[in-house]
Amino acid sequence: MTYRNSALEKYSRGVYRTIFRRNTVFLAGIFATAFAFEMAFDTVTDRWWDRMNKGKQWKDIKDRFSQ
Amino acid sequence: MVHLTKLAAAAVNRTSINAPYSAVAVKKLFETSNYVRKESLEIFFTPSWAVGAKRRSDGSILSKTFVSAAPCVGNFQKRFSSSSAVVDSSKSTIVPDFSHYKKDSGPNTSRAFTYLMVGATGALTAAGSKAFVTDFLANLSASADVLAMAKVEVDLAKIPEGKNLTIKWRGKPIFIRHRTPDEIAEANSVQLSELRDPQSDADRTQKPEWLVMLGVCTHLGCVPIGEAGDYNGWYCPCHGSHYDISGRIRKGPAPLNLEVPVYSFEDETKLVIG
Repeated sequence: MTYRNSALEKYSRGVYRTIFRRNTVFLAGIFATAFAFEMAFDTVTDRWWDRMNKGKQWKDIKDRFSQ
Repeated sequence: MVHLTKLAAAAVNRTSINAPYSAVAVKKLFETSNYVRKESLEIFFTPSWAVGAKRRSDGSILSKTFVSAAPCVGNFQKRFSSSSAVVDSSKSTIVPDFSHYKKDSGPNTSRAFTYLMVGATGALTAAGSKAFVTDFLANLSASADVLAMAKVEVDLAKIPEGKNLTIKWRGKPIFIRHRTPDEIAEANSVQLSELRDPQSDADRTQKPEWLVMLGVCTHLGCVPIGEAGDYNGWYCPCHGSHYDISGRIRKGPAPLNLEVPVYSFEDETKLVIG
């Protein structure tokens, strides 16, 4: 049977065979993805927070109070 | 009688007869089905196909046919609507073009997409749960200002050799003793086997000349007195526990040595407890 998007079909088959087929690989992939996602999410949100509060945080005004 | 009974049953069940046309027939059917006109049943004429059947003397049918004896008295009409005519379906049915609504991809893509969704849900759940637990535990732990207050700095240069200093740390007394070489030698000379709570002096001190201990008797929590007792160390006046020059229990009811807190030497003269 042929499909209009047979390239995607072929790619999907490969993805399934490499990642989803074995449960251990699938689960390891899930945890790796969760780890990566959390790091990326934290980095992005921290950067956003620092930008929103620029000049208000201790690390921004620390230089003014040199010991 | 049999066919009349069947007729009545059929009239009630409305299975194989159609609704009669005339008002007279409706009335007759109603009365018959409700047994109002029992005697009228007798005047129903015998159906044409049943004429040939052999009958008993009382009029009941002796020979039975395969045909159900329902209803074929004039006004009643057999229902034919359940039968369907044979039609050429290829000409009569026009199937619309559904290709626009169909997926471009096949079952492999669907399967991979489903697993991807399951995996993504799992990953998000894992990250979310981890963040929840971490934040919850971080909320329980002490904050930075509390931790800063929980430490005590001591200037050791002010304690001469052979003297005690008692300070307060987290609401409890801390004994700091600047021990003389004689005292260190005495603490090391004790056999571990004769101790109630065996602990060498090296285990209890980071630098032998500085003994740092929690000043709470391990018996019932009194504060021992320094430079007292049979072993020239500490003596608890409450119940008479004797501690030696390394703070180890030697005599009396206390079960354990005096506790050593976490401490560190910042430099030669600066001690940080906590």
